[in-house]
Amino acid sequence: MRWIRPLSAQVDETAEVVGGKAHGLLVLRRLGLPVPPGFVITTEACRAFLRDGRFPDGLDDELAAAMAALNAPAVSVRSGASVSMPGMMNTILNLDRDVDHAVATVFSSWNTPRAQTYRELHDIPHDLGTAVIVQAMVFGNLDEHSGTGVAFSRDPNTGANTPFGEVLFGHRGDAVVSGGALTEPLSHLDREPLVHNGLLDALRHIEGHYLDACYVEFTFEAGELWLLQVRPGRFVGAAAVRVATDLADEGVIDRREALLRVSPQHLRHVRTPRMVADHVLARGLGACPGVTSGRVATTTDSAVRMSVDGPVVLVRPETSPHDMRGLAAATGIVITARGGPASHAAVVARAMGKPAVVGIADLVVGAGEMSVGGHTVDEGTLVTIDGTSGEVALGRQRVVTTAADGHLRRLLEWADDVSGDRTERDEAERLSAAHSVLRKN
Amino acid sequence: MNDLLVLHTLRCIGFAGCPRIADAVGLAESDVESELIDLAVAGLVTHSPGEFGGWGLTDAGRVADAERITGELESAGARPALTSAFDGFMVLNPELLDLCTAWQLRSVDGVMIANDHRDRAYDARVLARFAEFHERALVVCHKLSAALPRFDRYRIRLAEALKRADAGELGRVADDIGSYHAVWAELHEDLLATLGIPR
Repeated sequence: MRWIRPLSAQVDETAEVVGGKAHGLLVLRRLGLPVPPGFVITTEACRAFLRDGRFPDGLDDELAAAMAALNAPAVSVRSGASVSMPGMMNTILNLDRDVDHAVATVFSSWNTPRAQTYRELHDIPHDLGTAVIVQAMVFGNLDEHSGTGVAFSRDPNTGANTPFGEVLFGHRGDAVVSGGALTEPLSHLDREPLVHNGLLDALRHIEGHYLDACYVEFTFEAGELWLLQVRPGRFVGAAAVRVATDLADEGVIDRREALLRVSPQHLRHVRTPRMVADHVLARGLGACPGVTSGRVATTTDSAVRMSVDGPVVLVRPETSPHDMRGLAAATGIVITARGGPASHAAVVARAMGKPAVVGIADLVVGAGEMSVGGHTVDEGTLVTIDGTSGEVALGRQRVVTTAADGHLRRLLEWADDVSGDRTERDEAERLSAAHSVLRKN
Repeated sequence: MNDLLVLHTLRCIGFAGCPRIADAVGLAESDVESELIDLAVAGLVTHSPGEFGGWGLTDAGRVADAERITGELESAGARPALTSAFDGFMVLNPELLDLCTAWQLRSVDGVMIANDHRDRAYDARVLARFAEFHERALVVCHKLSAALPRFDRYRIRLAEALKRADAGELGRVADDIGSYHAVWAELHEDLLATLGIPR
């Protein structure tokens, strides 16, 4: 076919042709891992559509043939460009008819003003277009042996070689990715041993392919595991340092590669304070880095009143200009149930340089209390928030800034070996010097 | 008429001191202060002391504002036009927040870091997107002021914020009082209040 490729192990196409998401799915197929059957419409078809305002000749017929071959009662239709543009384009789930229209909608979403702005700001050319992935739906909400989740092969907060993630029993994938909901730690997946073992096995295989930590989105339907997305881990800060040194120690990559895996920018983040909590009350999205402890205030008025006696964490469902006083009075800021890292509250929190967590979907703010994950927390209760990981915990929690110290010291010794320079310098400079030597050779 | 303008502006910007209210309304500080005192006597606004204090509406003030601002909307027959302009505003809203985020944070080697504004070329690129955005925001602003003239103040304040940001006042983009983001958020609040849409 000219415009469509099946998601099969035999297909070998670049991310430029099929997009990054489908490229990952093809990797999974080649590794023999379970991917819902489907096909991908190429970026070239999208470019033709955007140029002419209609499907290119032949796409209609190819789409009809591919749908007939797929023979699925319901499909998902997802965007996937060759470069990551998270959340900027459309996804349509559980579609049972009119795939043509859905594909055209996803194609067109390449050119929304938001997507255009995103590309301008991230140096992404406007003429790439997006591929469109059509797959048989798998239902994480089918029965008690169904669910969905996300998993990292290593802990993205510390880099430790322990699988990390969240699982949500009885729900579809969009419920997890949209943030919050009543997720459980990945280890709870051992309730479904076949799915759990299958997933851990898959993570090991995928690491072997990327030679790096990896991330997957998965769904299990009636006890059967399906992988919906994969990518290398893209860890930052201390976690990036630890993974690179560990991989070198494990003999997976050499020391030169380990050095190149860590950006000098990451070293500036190694020192960002992080919370270490045994039990996390809620997890949202980090919107402004830093850790702070304070007593919960559920209104701007109580934040202002309580701030006289000590640090306050303002908890609001969302914020309006009326909350500016409360935001100013709170030492550590805001947890909002609605809105992501680009919400009004997040913009304000960053303007004030205060740690912020946003997007805790199941957080309900009531009169004088908040409830989350089945717990009710009264106003005045001490909590700690981490604006990097998006975690919220009860009480005052331990804060660390040096989680990667041992690893960092070794990585920098390797850097000095490469550069031959052992003078007293800034950490980022030591790594940069090694990078310039390695890139010259 | 000025008393409603002052009352409603305070309704939309939250607690504030006299200079900030005057700037938002577009009246002299002395005139605004005189209106505030009258409104306080009528029990519609109150002044609270302290670090986070300022002028604010009383419960009675909120009720009075809602009644009078709805009256203004209905007697002008402006609800359909304003509703349609609000729809346009809501299309632009996520984009504006994206732009503010890009101004505050940037991705370097996959790491989101605070924009330290030392990369002039990056800032210029974001400001260029703001300028392009503003052109589309103006279309909405003109619809708003055609429906209710008092909304023209937002067009003036948004343009002022952008002009100052372009002239090097970096806080006028997303961080300070009177920044593009702050004025935009106040406009958002005004539209919700005027149309009686709960948050």
